Amino acid sequence: MAQTLKIPEWLKETRRAGGPGDGGGGGGGGYRGPGFLEKNLAHVASTVRWLMDSDDSASRPGLLQGLDSRARIAGIFIILVAAAMSETTVELAGIIILTALLTVSSRVRFVTLAKRILPAFVFTTVITIPVFFGFFSPGPPGTPIVGFSVLSLEVSMTTEGLSTGAFFITRVSAMVALAALLVLTTRQTDFFRGLRRLLVPGFFVTALFMTFRYIFILLKLFEDATLARKSRTITRPAIGSSQRWFASRIALFLKKSLAMAEEVGMAMASRGFSGRIRTVGGGSLKGKDYLWVGTSVFVLFLSLGF
Amino acid sequence: MDQDLYKLEGVSYSYGEFPALTDVSFSVRGGECLAVLGANGTGKSTLLKILNGLVFPSSGSVAFEGREITEEGLRGGFLRRFRETVGFVFSEPDVQLFCPTVFEEVAFGPLQLELPEEEVSMRVEDVLNMLGISALRERAPHTLSSGEKKKVAIASVLAVNPDVLLMDEPTNGLDPRTQVWLLELVGGLKEIKKTFVIATHDLSLAEDLADRVVVLDESHSVASVGPTREVLEDKDLLLKVNIIHEHAHRHGSLVHRHSHGPYATHDEHD
Repeated sequence: MAQTLKIPEWLKETRRAGGPGDGGGGGGGGYRGPGFLEKNLAHVASTVRWLMDSDDSASRPGLLQGLDSRARIAGIFIILVAAAMSETTVELAGIIILTALLTVSSRVRFVTLAKRILPAFVFTTVITIPVFFGFFSPGPPGTPIVGFSVLSLEVSMTTEGLSTGAFFITRVSAMVALAALLVLTTRQTDFFRGLRRLLVPGFFVTALFMTFRYIFILLKLFEDATLARKSRTITRPAIGSSQRWFASRIALFLKKSLAMAEEVGMAMASRGFSGRIRTVGGGSLKGKDYLWVGTSVFVLFLSLGF
Repeated sequence: MDQDLYKLEGVSYSYGEFPALTDVSFSVRGGECLAVLGANGTGKSTLLKILNGLVFPSSGSVAFEGREITEEGLRGGFLRRFRETVGFVFSEPDVQLFCPTVFEEVAFGPLQLELPEEEVSMRVEDVLNMLGISALRERAPHTLSSGEKKKVAIASVLAVNPDVLLMDEPTNGLDPRTQVWLLELVGGLKEIKKTFVIATHDLSLAEDLADRVVVLDESHSVASVGPTREVLEDKDLLLKVNIIHEHAHRHGSLVHRHSHGPYATHDEHD
């Protein structure tokens, strides 16, 4: 027999205009916009998406975009090694000029590239600050650039420290610029395919891709959970309550990610995966691909002082 | 129908202290379409995972082509033959699509079975064409719509050319147009003697496609096995296992009570 729906009386009441909170006034202690957690979560999600989003510049015709993804990845990697090995300002300047030329010829905007370098630049500068000072980089006596005393302790910046710190910051920024250039000129699919067709082990590439792939699903779940909470939040919750909620969500998402990993593993096993990933081989490299890789190797030799 | 392809006898499975299946016995015949009907949480998905050799019963036995499927037994040549013969379309396409491009996703199964690359490429192109998704071949699966993801998930299984297709809630989250597309696809594959086991609570899907139906109740046991029409006409059974519910509404002073589901009748008037 069908059950008659028994609706409680309070559920039949409707909101009327003029009630508490209406009219834009009153309702003191109401919701005051997104909280710390919500804002940070949204920023983390959008930053990860932004960092990984390259399809716009990657689809433009350009020097790097026109290369086979294997050659592009290998060439940039070799130049990255060259940047890491460079020991003189001339070598580093050469790599920066090369990066700038690649940026222009690949039709990537400098502003876009600069935005990606900026966080690494700031972070590197902050951690490098102690190197500027005499207690880390003692320079010739009597040549401090800036000197001041803290708690009767003389602190001074030295020429030696400044040049070492600046070289380190520039080198890191150049390397980040090269990595960003690779991301900006390579579609995600080409990037992972390129890695597979190089000698990178298939299992490593798959693990990397799956991390990338499923982090978005989990981030989306977390964002949705935050929005669902927001939709039922009228007053700003106490900090303790928010912390408990956050901790419970972390636990839930750990559980969800484990369950998803198990399901993905089953889906792979179901299609015959037994621990070794096989892929379709790529086409052959063209002359321009060999030229690009050859140029990269030449840059590496130069950086080694040959 | 052909002889029994699967034979389940007294199969039970539990997640810790929570039972998922209790003493389940039935068989699947070659070339038939068998629908596993049940309300949410009755163990349909677990049952399909057992049929695909992904989890193994706590008690009871499952035999495929007369050979028992056990963790120890599913190895070597038998494992290869089993994975070639049985394909599984998961309910949630996101767990099934883990490759960078649609092409690689569809090629994954045949490649793991060590088919030659030329044949893999040929199969992928053919399956993409058959399902009308060739334009997606270079797309990343996570950028696709739900319907497209489902099509790619099905393509990734079909590329292996399995004789048996296990489908978990295949119409979940699909718009009506894609649902009809799926019905037509399964109908077409039935004609070439593919065997289907479809877990669903969509009665219209069972009505349209299934030759036989297994009904699971909320105690995770088999409530009924039989020809589709016979089972779907048993309103008391469907009410008892909570697949349909009775609904009452008024037409003036007349109260209509009727069940929701196929073969619904306006059988009680107050």
